[in-house]
Amino acid sequence: MNWALLSLALPLLSAFWVLLVRRAVSETILFATLVSLTAALAAFYQVQSDPVQTLLLGDWTLPLAIRFELTSLNALLMVLTATIHFLVGLYNRFSRHGSGRYSDYWPLSAVLHSALVALWLSRDLFNWYVTLELLTLVAVALVTLSGPKAYRAALGYLVLSLIASLFYLLGVALLYGEYGVLDLDRLSALAVDSANTRLALLLMVLGLMLKAALWPLYLWLPDAHANAPTAVSALLSALVVKGPLFILWLTLTQIAPVEFAQQLGLIFALFGSVALLSGAWSALRTPYLKTLVAYSTVAQLGYALITLGLLLRWQTPELATALWLFVIAHALAKVSAFLAAGEMQATFGSKELIAVRGASQSMPLAMFAFAVAGGSLIGLPPSGGFLAKWILLQPLFAEPAHWPWALAILLGTLASAAYVFRVVALAFDRYDVETELPQTDALAQWLSLLPALVVWGLALISQPLMLWLSTGANP
Amino acid sequence: MTLLHMLMPLMVVLSSLIPGLIIFTLREDQIELRTLLNLSGVFIKMALVITMLIGVSQGYSYEFRLPFLPNADLTLRGDALSLQFVTLSSILWMATTIYAIGYLEGSPLRSRFFGYFSLCVSATVGLALAGNLVTFLLFYELLTLATFPLVVHRGTKAALRAGRIYLAYTLAGGTLVLLGVVLLHDIAGSPEFTIGGYLTVFETEHSASLTLAFALLIAGLGVKAALFPVHGWLPRAMVAPAPVSALLHAVAVVKAGAFGIVRVVYDVFGVDLVQNLNLMPPLLWLAAFTIIFGSVMALRQTELKKRLAYSTVSQVSYITLGVALLGPIAAIGAIAHLVHQGLMKVTLFFCAGNFAETLHVHRIQDMNGIGKRMPYTMAAFTVGALGMMGAPPIAGFITKWHLGLGALEVGQAWVLLVLVGSGLLNALYFLPLIYRGWFGLPPKAWPEDTGLGGGSPGWRETHWMLLLPTLFTAVVSILVGVLAGTSISPLAWAKLVVDLEFSL
Repeated sequence: MNWALLSLALPLLSAFWVLLVRRAVSETILFATLVSLTAALAAFYQVQSDPVQTLLLGDWTLPLAIRFELTSLNALLMVLTATIHFLVGLYNRFSRHGSGRYSDYWPLSAVLHSALVALWLSRDLFNWYVTLELLTLVAVALVTLSGPKAYRAALGYLVLSLIASLFYLLGVALLYGEYGVLDLDRLSALAVDSANTRLALLLMVLGLMLKAALWPLYLWLPDAHANAPTAVSALLSALVVKGPLFILWLTLTQIAPVEFAQQLGLIFALFGSVALLSGAWSALRTPYLKTLVAYSTVAQLGYALITLGLLLRWQTPELATALWLFVIAHALAKVSAFLAAGEMQATFGSKELIAVRGASQSMPLAMFAFAVAGGSLIGLPPSGGFLAKWILLQPLFAEPAHWPWALAILLGTLASAAYVFRVVALAFDRYDVETELPQTDALAQWLSLLPALVVWGLALISQPLMLWLSTGANP
Repeated sequence: MTLLHMLMPLMVVLSSLIPGLIIFTLREDQIELRTLLNLSGVFIKMALVITMLIGVSQGYSYEFRLPFLPNADLTLRGDALSLQFVTLSSILWMATTIYAIGYLEGSPLRSRFFGYFSLCVSATVGLALAGNLVTFLLFYELLTLATFPLVVHRGTKAALRAGRIYLAYTLAGGTLVLLGVVLLHDIAGSPEFTIGGYLTVFETEHSASLTLAFALLIAGLGVKAALFPVHGWLPRAMVAPAPVSALLHAVAVVKAGAFGIVRVVYDVFGVDLVQNLNLMPPLLWLAAFTIIFGSVMALRQTELKKRLAYSTVSQVSYITLGVALLGPIAAIGAIAHLVHQGLMKVTLFFCAGNFAETLHVHRIQDMNGIGKRMPYTMAAFTVGALGMMGAPPIAGFITKWHLGLGALEVGQAWVLLVLVGSGLLNALYFLPLIYRGWFGLPPKAWPEDTGLGGGSPGWRETHWMLLLPTLFTAVVSILVGVLAGTSISPLAWAKLVVDLEFSL
C-alpha cells in the first residue's frame, strides 16, 4: 500500500514543486512520473501476494476514515495511468509540436495523474466526488492550453461537467441522508431497495454518464477532445473518461438493488449498441481527422457500456474482465491514434482529414501507428481489443436468446473498421500528391507507435492479464 | 519431442516475417540488401519446409504452442495437410518474389511493397500451420491486413476503389468467421484440428448451433475462396500489379479460403457430422453453380486479367466441390487441386504480366500473333490454359479425373455434367487466346514495345526475371501431371492426407 501512496503522491508533490521553483519543469515532472510508474509496478507486485490491501487514511476508524483499497485491478490501472502519462509526457517534451518545456501542461498533467490514482484507490462516495471535481477542472484547464480556439469547447465541457458534478453530489447527499455512511462497503451492506435509493442512484448515474461521455450524454466530448492539444487529447480519451466509468461500475455492482441494476443494465446495453453505431457513423461523416478519432472514443465507449449493461443485466461479475480489458486496450490504442493523428495534423498543417492523403508515403510511421492502433479498436486478433471482445462474446453465444447482442457487436466491429480504414485508405492514395515531402519528426512518430505495439503485445501476457483482472474485479 | 521439433513451425513463419520487418526499415536505394533479404528468406523457408516434409513422411510431428485464450492456445503444427499448402506457398512465393523484383525494377516504394509481400506470405504459412480455429482466425485476419497495402500499391483511384471493396468483403467475412469460431468455442472449446472432426459428440445436443456455426464459417471463408455470391472483390482486385494478382489468385488469399473450408469440413466437423447434419447439398450446389457461373463470366470479359480472374472464381470452387462430395477420391482431387490450380494460375498471371509489361498488351484483341514476338511466354501461357481446360498430362487433368471418379463413387453423377460443362467453357474462353497468340497476324506495331530484356523473340523477349519464374511454374505444372504416379507428386501427398482423413 505504501508503494501505491507513493505513486499517488509523487506527481502531486512534483507539481507543487515546479510551481514554486519554476526550473527544469518538464524534466522534474517526467522524472516524478517515471518514479510513480515504478512505485505503481512495485504496488502491483506486492498485491500479488496479498490480494486486497486496505488503508484507512490518517488512522481514523470507519465511518470517519477515508478508505483506500488496493487490488490487482486498480494496481494495473495505476500502472496504465503512469505509463500513459510518461509516454505522452515524452511526446509533449520531444515532439516539435509539443507544448514546450515550461508550459502549464506539466503541472496540470501531474495533478491529473494524482487525481486519477486517487480515484482508482478510493472506496468512498465523497472522496470520489473530490477526485472527479479535480479531474474535471484540471482537464478543462488542459483543454484551454491550445488557445482561444479551444475556449468554446472548454466552456461547454466545464458547464456540462459542473452540472454532472451537481447531479452526482445530489445523489451522494441523498444516500448519506438515508444511510449516514459514505463508505462503499458500508453502503453495500446497508442499502435496501427503496425509492430514495433508486432516485439517488439514478442521479449519480446521470452525472457519471455525462462525465464519462456515455451515449447519449456525449455531446461535449468530440469538441473538447478534438480541440485540445494533441497530448491532452490523448490523456482525456485514454484515461479521464474511464474514471467516472470506474465509479459507475463499482456503485452499481455494490450498492444498487438487483432489480434496479437489471433494468439499468438493459438500458445501458441498448445505449451502448446505439453508441457503437452512431459514434462510428459520425466518425465516418466528419471532415476533420482529430474529430474522427474523438468520435471513435464515443463509439468505443459503447463497447464498455454494452459490457457493463450486460454485466448488470445478467448479474455476471465475470464480464468485468471484459470491461477492464476494453478500457486498457482502448486507452493504449487511443493514445497511439491521437498522437499519430495530432502529429500528422501538425506536420501537414491542416486539421482536415483530406490532408493525410498520401501519408503512407510521407509519414509512414505515424500512419502505421494509426493503423495498428485501429486494428485493436476494430478488435482484430490477437490485439487487446480482440481479447476483450472474445471474453464478451463467450456468454453471448451461450443461449440463442442472447444472439442479438452478438449481432450488435458484429455491426460495431464492421462500423469501426469502416472509419479506421477511411483514414488508412486515404493514406495510400498517392495519385496527384505533391512530391515534396514535409519535414517529419521521427521520434514523435515512434512514440506514437509504441502504445499501439503494446496493445498488440498484450496477446503475449493474455492469460495472466485475464487472471489479474478477474481477481481484481471480483475480490 | 525435441526443442527443434517444437520451434520448426515457428521458424517457418518467422523466416519470412523477420526479413519482411527489416525490409520496411530499408531505404529505397538499398536494392542489393533488400534482394538479399528477400532471397535468403525464400531459401531458408524452402529448406525448413523440405526438412519438415521429410520429417512428417517419416512420422515425426512438429508442434509449437503459446498460451493465449482460455481453452485456446496459439498452436502451430505441421501435419500432412498443412504441409501440402505450406509447400505450395513456399515454392510459389519463391517464383513470385523473383518475378516481383524484376517487375518492380525502378518503380517507387519497393521497400514497402516487399515488406508487406513478406508479411503476406508469413500470414499464409501461419494459417496453413495453424493447429486450431483460433490460431487460424488470427492469421486469416492478418492476411487481410497484409494484402490490403499490396492491392492499393499503385495508389490510383481504381486501385483504391478495389482496395476498399476488398476490405469490405474480407473484413465482413472475417467477422463471420469470428462469430463461427466463438460459437464453436462455446460448445466445445478450441481443441486442435482432429482427423474426423471433434464435434461429433455434440451432435444431438447442439445440432442447430452447429449448423449455424457451419453456415457462418463457410460464408466467411467463402469470401476469400470467392464463392458465389461473395466473389465480387476478386475480379475488381485485378487492378493490382501482376505479382499481387499472383499472390491473390494462387499463393495466398483465395487459397486461404479454400484451405479453410477443407479444414472445417475434415478436421473440425468431420465428414460424418457434415453428412448427418445434411450440410453437404447446399455446399455442393453452391460450388457447382460457382464453377459454371465463373466460367460464363470469364467468357464475357475482353480484358485478359479479368478473364483470368473469373477463371479463378470457377477453378477454386473445384476444391470446394471436391470437399463437398465427402468421398475419399473426390477429396484427393480437391486437395491436389489446391496445388495444381495454384501452379497453373500463377503461370497464367505471370504471362499476362509479361505481355502487359513488355508490350502493354492488356486486351484480348491485342494478343494476335504475340507468340511470334514472345514465344516462350506464349508457350507457358498455352501450358497453363490447356491445364485449366483439363488436357492431359498437365496438372489440371489429374484433378478433374479424380473429381469425376469421386462424384461417381458417392452417386452424384450430375457433377460430371458440371465438370464437362466447365471444361467446355474453359475451352471456349482459353482456346481463342491460344489461337490468337500463335496463329493470329501480328500488328504492325504493339501498343507500346518497352524492349525489356533486349526485345528479340526467345530468351531475350522480356526481362529474365520475368521470364524465368514463368517458365519454371509452367514446367512444374507439367511435371506434377506427368509424375502424378510417383511418390513425390502433390497427388501422392494428397492421397496420404486422404488416407489419414478417411482412415483408409
